[in-house]
Amino acid sequence: MTQGADDRSRAFPVPVPDADTQPFWDGCRGGELRIQRCASCGTWLWQPRPVCSSCQTPGPVWTAVSGDGFVASWTVMRPPTLPAFADRVPYVLLLVELDVGVRLIGYLVDGDGRWLRSDGAAEGVEIGRRVALRFHDQAGTPLPCWTLV
Amino acid sequence: MTRPTHLARHRQAAVVGIHALPFSRNIGTTERHGGALAILGALADAGLSVRDVDGMFRYVWESTTEMEMARILGVPNLKMFGEIDYGGGAGAPTVGLAALAIESGLADVVVVWRSRNRSSGGRPWASQLQATGQDQFERPYGLVRPVDGMALHARYWIHKYGWTPEVTGRVAVTQRQHAQRNPAAMMRKPLSMDDYLGSRMIADPLRLFDCCLETDGAMAMVLTSAERARDLDVVPVHVTGFAMGSGPQMTAMTFYYGEELGRTPNRWVAPELWRNTGLAPRDIDVVQLYDAFTPQIPLAFEEYGFCGEGEAPAYMAEGRNPPYNTSGGGLSEAYVHGFNLLVEGVRQVRGSSTSQVENVRHCLVTSGNVVPTGAIVFSKEPW
Repeated sequence: MTQGADDRSRAFPVPVPDADTQPFWDGCRGGELRIQRCASCGTWLWQPRPVCSSCQTPGPVWTAVSGDGFVASWTVMRPPTLPAFADRVPYVLLLVELDVGVRLIGYLVDGDGRWLRSDGAAEGVEIGRRVALRFHDQAGTPLPCWTLV
Repeated sequence: MTRPTHLARHRQAAVVGIHALPFSRNIGTTERHGGALAILGALADAGLSVRDVDGMFRYVWESTTEMEMARILGVPNLKMFGEIDYGGGAGAPTVGLAALAIESGLADVVVVWRSRNRSSGGRPWASQLQATGQDQFERPYGLVRPVDGMALHARYWIHKYGWTPEVTGRVAVTQRQHAQRNPAAMMRKPLSMDDYLGSRMIADPLRLFDCCLETDGAMAMVLTSAERARDLDVVPVHVTGFAMGSGPQMTAMTFYYGEELGRTPNRWVAPELWRNTGLAPRDIDVVQLYDAFTPQIPLAFEEYGFCGEGEAPAYMAEGRNPPYNTSGGGLSEAYVHGFNLLVEGVRQVRGSSTSQVENVRHCLVTSGNVVPTGAIVFSKEPW
């Protein structure tokens, strides 16, 4: 295997935005977590969509949120996983329920948004624990992540 | 207006042929090749020929299209064909579509099959580094394996219902015992609760023995009308009914963005299934419950109404449940996207399982649980 091929196989998966999701990733680059909210009925919507699935009004509005929420569920990633993560395991993956009521995936990171190798035990991760938003830079992509508070 | 005569009578469908190639780590042939041999085997089992086939259905994830397979085999003309999406949720719905084709009179002899080199062909998620659509919010975090999504569900079920590790351990041990009686099963080594509890974590709280096998397998099934089945030298296995469902806010391969965390689409499939079949859980003698991962079994007993919500651990510990996954299932026989559960369901009604339940009148078979899915009931007697 050539060095180049090896590099590619160890690359992180990257988000490929489309017109419906671009505002979300633009928000992340500006340090802002944006979730769609229906201007008509007020429903918060996730994942991104062109129409409110509660009242069918087109064009839900991208709205900045604090990112505060709690751990709805979590797991610990262990081998075998993608090569890019091979020297990072174990790490904690969170399903976070934001206070606005939608659930997102993110890493558990430290208070400064840095990578945290962990099985969650020392940190006391559990369902219901409050979390705060941090952005973790992964190969140039700011990913929404959360830290325990 | 006069009703067209070919639709004048609602015809029941029956499974008349099944076949499986030996399960292996490396089947040594293409999926196309294995699928073709499995279909020919199922037709031979039914006493039918390729010339009789006029309908074909497959999983979307099946790599060989109906057209390619019909061309290879020499099927003269397909009158009805199609495919069902969403991974392991496609099993019962694919057989259900075949039954519908027969019931409606649009086809007479319908083939369904699943051929998958999931062991030798590698892990499909390993090379998908461009995360589009809904994957762009999960895959960059390394959330790519089916076990990762299931772990997030399982953690919540454990939390909500107070499951001990023994609840899922019992599933792994029970199915291994079934596999030990099945010469075709891939995993026949004894498995104790201590073995289970001591196995390494893959995605906490799921251990190695919570996960299904990785298998090269090819299986097929042939259905025709119950009336035509009477002219064949087979024990017909009647399709009493089936149902499909997605639930609200489905995200294809997970259900944790749904309105209420902890539910699965089976919550929506189950009442439709019982309505469509006119049956209730107490009528079911044996079940084949989709088992890519052990937590799916107690959840299915609850969601299909065999016991109340939260009652599965006691229900199963006291042995009040019907026998489940009697071939060893995806955990110990083979993982062929749930198709082996469908074939075992047919065997139980025929009376030819290696863990045969006595006097089987009705067998329930379910498909994937956190995906758009379905369920079907195979029965000894016709409507």
